[in-house]
Amino acid sequence: MKSTDTYNDIKEVNLAYMMLAQNMVRSDREGAIFRLGISEEIADILERLTPGQVLKMAASDMLLCSFRFDDALLLDLLSNHERDRGAGHVHAAILAAGRAVESVA
Amino acid sequence: MRNKSVISEARDIRLAIELIQLGARLQMLEAETNLSRERLLKLYKEVKGVSPPKGMLPFSTDWFMTWQPNVHASLFMAYFRFFEKHTKLRGLELIIKSYRMYLEKVTRSGMEIVLSLTRAWTMVRFFEANMLQRATCRECGGEFVAHAYDPTRGYVCGLCHLPARAGKTRRAAA
Repeated sequence: MKSTDTYNDIKEVNLAYMMLAQNMVRSDREGAIFRLGISEEIADILERLTPGQVLKMAASDMLLCSFRFDDALLLDLLSNHERDRGAGHVHAAILAAGRAVESVA
Repeated sequence: MRNKSVISEARDIRLAIELIQLGARLQMLEAETNLSRERLLKLYKEVKGVSPPKGMLPFSTDWFMTWQPNVHASLFMAYFRFFEKHTKLRGLELIIKSYRMYLEKVTRSGMEIVLSLTRAWTMVRFFEANMLQRATCRECGGEFVAHAYDPTRGYVCGLCHLPARAGKTRRAAA
């Protein structure tokens, strides 16, 4: 893949992520804090971003969202098809709720 | 009349309707609103179309210990602790939000709703009264509902070690 393609893809994912995150915070603030794994402070920032700011942030060549589940067990629970899907996801939710959220330093 | 302010009564009625829709029992409504029993009864019939179930609330902590209820109760508590720690929700609002998240999770996973709102509410009170505690699973590190004063060292949760008959209820087989 050419680097311009990658760059465009990153931009697109960034934009989709930022718009989704902002919508989630606006429609269900607490639910979004859990699902996005962010602190209230970040939720505030997201909520206040203007469309112009969202576009500017999305135009970065770095991905704005990072990999959240840096835990082998959680990954296994979410991706393993062998397990009963329902129970695995419930287990994953219990573990994920105990994790720290992303916050601004 | 117990209620002096019309506005606070309106707020109570709205809250009671929300609670009834989520499946709250009459005792919970009486504890959480300032509405009279007669008004709550009328409201309940209007919202649900049937009379509220009679009898006492479940008062035993044992229900939370069997496999399936324990998984569901622990899921609710996981949301509850998360929102308590990371948002400004408190009290009844916190319970309602956690319960809504629980409902959504369970229905989306195609499972049966095992924990009722009244049970969840009772459980929070059991925790406040130190009748229940959280036990950390030795294998996955997740927190699960356990009896207070039970030893929690070396605790292994029901999801890491599925009991052989887990989920194989008579109803599931039918």
